Amino acid sequence: MSENKIYFKFDGKKYAGNEGDTIAAALLRNNVKLIGRSFKYHRPRGIYTCGIEEPNALVQIINEHNEPNVRATVKKIYEGMVVKSQNRWPSLKTDLGSINNILSPIFSAGFYYKTFMGPKGFWKNVYEPLIRRTAGLGKPPKEFKSKSIHQHHNVDVIIVGGGLSGLLAARKFAGTNYDVLLVEREDTFGGILKNADKIKSINDQPADEWLEKTERLIRNSNNIKILKNTLVTTYNFSDHLIALEDKNVGKPQDNEKPELVLHKIRTKHTILANGHIERFITFRNNDLPGVMLAASFEKYLNRYGVVPDESPVIFTNNSSTFSLLKSLTDLGHKPKAYVDIRDQKNIEKQTLELLEKFNIPFYPKSEIEGCEGKKEVKKVSIRTKKNQITKIKTSMLCVSGGFNPDIHLFTQSKGLLKWDKDYLTFKPDRIFQKTITLGSVSGNFSYEKLLVEVEKKLSEFEGLNELEVKFEINGPEKFQIKELWETKHEKKSLWSKSFIDLQNDVTTKDLRQAVNEGFNRIEHLKRFTTNSMGTDQGKISSINALGIVSKILKKDISEVGTTTYRPPYSPVNFSAIAGRSTYEFYDPERKTPLHSWHVKQNAVFENVGQWKRPWYFKKSEDETMHQAVQREAEQVRKTAGILDGSTLGKIEIKGKDALTFVNLMYTNSFTKMKPKTGRYALMLGEDGMVKDDGIVCKINEQHFIVTTTTGNAASVLAHMEEYSQTEWPNLNVYMNSITEQFATFNLSGPKSRVIMSRVFNDIDFSNDQFPFMSFNNFKYLDTEIRILRASFTGELGYEIYVPPSYALKLWQKFFISSRDFDLVPYGTETMHLLRAEKGYIIVGQDTDGTVTPLDLHLNWMIGKKKKDFIGKRSLTRSDIVRENRKQLVGLVPVDKTLGIEEGQHVIEQKDLSLPIKDPVDMLGHVTSSYFSPNLNHSVAMALIRGGKRKIGSRLFVSTENLNTIAVEVVEPNFIDPKNERMML
Amino acid sequence: MFTIKCPYCGERDQSEFSNGGEAHVARPKDPEQISDREWSEYVFIRANPKGIYYERWVHTHGCKKWFNAVRNTSTDEILKVYKMGETPPPLKEFKDTIKTPSGEPDVGSGNFSVKKP
Repeated sequence: MSENKIYFKFDGKKYAGNEGDTIAAALLRNNVKLIGRSFKYHRPRGIYTCGIEEPNALVQIINEHNEPNVRATVKKIYEGMVVKSQNRWPSLKTDLGSINNILSPIFSAGFYYKTFMGPKGFWKNVYEPLIRRTAGLGKPPKEFKSKSIHQHHNVDVIIVGGGLSGLLAARKFAGTNYDVLLVEREDTFGGILKNADKIKSINDQPADEWLEKTERLIRNSNNIKILKNTLVTTYNFSDHLIALEDKNVGKPQDNEKPELVLHKIRTKHTILANGHIERFITFRNNDLPGVMLAASFEKYLNRYGVVPDESPVIFTNNSSTFSLLKSLTDLGHKPKAYVDIRDQKNIEKQTLELLEKFNIPFYPKSEIEGCEGKKEVKKVSIRTKKNQITKIKTSMLCVSGGFNPDIHLFTQSKGLLKWDKDYLTFKPDRIFQKTITLGSVSGNFSYEKLLVEVEKKLSEFEGLNELEVKFEINGPEKFQIKELWETKHEKKSLWSKSFIDLQNDVTTKDLRQAVNEGFNRIEHLKRFTTNSMGTDQGKISSINALGIVSKILKKDISEVGTTTYRPPYSPVNFSAIAGRSTYEFYDPERKTPLHSWHVKQNAVFENVGQWKRPWYFKKSEDETMHQAVQREAEQVRKTAGILDGSTLGKIEIKGKDALTFVNLMYTNSFTKMKPKTGRYALMLGEDGMVKDDGIVCKINEQHFIVTTTTGNAASVLAHMEEYSQTEWPNLNVYMNSITEQFATFNLSGPKSRVIMSRVFNDIDFSNDQFPFMSFNNFKYLDTEIRILRASFTGELGYEIYVPPSYALKLWQKFFISSRDFDLVPYGTETMHLLRAEKGYIIVGQDTDGTVTPLDLHLNWMIGKKKKDFIGKRSLTRSDIVRENRKQLVGLVPVDKTLGIEEGQHVIEQKDLSLPIKDPVDMLGHVTSSYFSPNLNHSVAMALIRGGKRKIGSRLFVSTENLNTIAVEVVEPNFIDPKNERMML
Repeated sequence: MFTIKCPYCGERDQSEFSNGGEAHVARPKDPEQISDREWSEYVFIRANPKGIYYERWVHTHGCKKWFNAVRNTSTDEILKVYKMGETPPPLKEFKDTIKTPSGEPDVGSGNFSVKKP
């Protein structure tokens, strides 16, 4: 151990620890036992284990973005670390929430489900805020930018665990042709060799020497990659594993470097050598600080050089505690008592010899009934073999209830388990993937057998090294255990509890109650009691719960079965999952070639897909959105306005069969259409519903350019690709996205022809030469542009397609050429208003995937003479031709001063007598609504049942205050129904 | 997360692909000549078996090509890939495929972790 002291703070107080200490080790070094308060009852809790299985010692790291629920038994300290205890108020020592402990009879299993049933509104406003404040674990972290990254691996073999078994396997692979990844969750290899004094020597050398030599050999081999501080959390189907690496172990955070790496590993073979986890035994007040698992206690002695207590009481039901006894007595410490539930004749002779040699009080065939103390263990109460209670003063109690192979990953891989009657544990049985289990995870607790197991299970690999290893073992060779899950309570008081899940405060009484209430299936029982549903996933206790439940149900434990193990093995930070996909990297922002101009003109932007589009332009600081939109919309119809339409999707379609293909993709007929003309077109799904709209431009029969809505550009191209590849591969046709190849301006308004003639003074824009819906290519500077006469506002309009690098200059030229007309730049909101005045739909706003062209009165767009197009057959289905389908109508308020809200219901009745008792018949809803500055009243569109026949009638629209507004149902075309302005 | 062997590009991560639903549901040649029921079966009805499934995939973040695959839906094993237009492999080719990971029934969620005695 290093002599350099490391100082850190816990709850405001400064403590010193050694380099390499975990928070728990350092606190135990300072004799701090009280670490936190429990989830529900706010009982004092301490350090129960020495690793990842820890249920109690969860802390918040203040200087790491307030990171919550960090296991004090895993996180290593560093200079200046600031740690805080969780779930207590006002302080750890006096926690007011502990009143819950005395109120516990009402907090039994299913308490929340049964209690917080009413009155209405109480859950949201009273119960939930209250429960959120008092229950739970740490507080959420503050906002921070994740620097975590993802890394991918493709290997032949992954070895999970760098303990003895994992190292033996790696030793066999060292220097061979296999590509191997060796993953260890701690910062050193060795596992049990480091944690306990179970192995005297390997090849007649101390175990540490063998370890060092083996690690060097593995490190020097060029085929094994080592990942330390890396926890495998997930074992998916198809040999895919996920592991989380902590880059900052024992170091303060570096703001420049990634703190976590999420490794995504594809492998051909998986060797699980991830060991075992000790389980506890339930007795009265088994949660008090001072109660610790025996192997964990030994790990503190051997790995950290910390003696949590010099004379603890040891309570066991198996042979493994010999090693703790030996470690303690080797250090010159003498346990207060050794309590073993087994008969003396069944206890190993090595243990008996040690007990006798050091004259340790020995209680065979006895058990711990409970322990006493307020903030930590003061006394334990032993039920001796004569069924008498003896009390012993002690400040620590070490418990061993046996071992569970760490089968979590194995079952995630869909391997099957079986119950081992000798070792009282579930162990791997049938594999589902290419999985090999080695050592204690396979249920093999014998070192002698380990060598045989490694040789046998790795025999399928060719050319591996020979192992020359010989173990000399301390203590009993054979693992021996007697079944015990829970000891009987003597004392009955509100404070006395026997816990089965320490993190979620589930008692064995809760288990019994749940079974009594009919939750006798293990998956139901788990959810009703929340047993093993904490962040520790019941690693030290879930099998105990099965043991207790199997006794209650009088069933075999393998019949009860386990609950399903799901990834991750242990909590994974969201920041690791997100990786670099946060903030500006989460979703790319797309900007048009004119973006910088918009910014200078005070545009307020709207996100449309990934695009940033000007929503409206603020003329002055205090202009509101409404004012801006009204100003822009008025100006367009007065003189002219210009819109940046560059985001519009553009797809080029070429090939011998382009015409046939376009005829199949869109409803309209393009056969008789003249070259150099465009047509407003609808695209349907095979179900007959409107999918997209746009303008189809025919250059010639083998060459088309179509536009799509901004948000659908990618999906429309994918839709075309799908049909050309799967249904009509015989058609000679090719598609390409050309969205980014052109910037697009939409010029609109009565003065647009004059403006166009000024900007392009060599082009004739007269009606004869440039009729509505025609287009042509023109030379512009040293490039080519395309001009299409079209309109989405109902005004005379032109669309200009220009290569992006020429866009800004040309755009500015429009403004220079039209100063006398006050040409106005307008945004998407004004575009929406203007098209609504004309009754033009927006796919996705006025349609929602249940709307056909017939519902929109767009029958004229359907090429009825065409034999087939996508969705055509659906248009004659009985449900589609039904008369009372929801159909698009226009709405105008009777009182012209009133506004209609989008999304409100359209109904037949005027009065909504409050409170509403009977359901109000809803005809439909308002899809678009704007105040028209050009008509000086609101205009709206709505989808309502049987809408076509309702035109001319009066209906009502609901409001936020449950009033109604009377509206006239009209044709959805409010301005210039004869389209004279467009044809100007 | 599994890998798929694109018949054009080779083995790639599943995240590069999009699923296109059941394969070999041909678009009727003459939609006008069939009944509403027949047409709606083509548009709306797809099989959803637990076990062997013939389905379509597209290499969205790759060559953008569509192709067919045979997948065991209960184990996510891709048993075969073949190009559009190629004859589908007969079902009997996959008769030895493991039906479910834990030998649980063909129907149901089957979260079995312990081998039944």
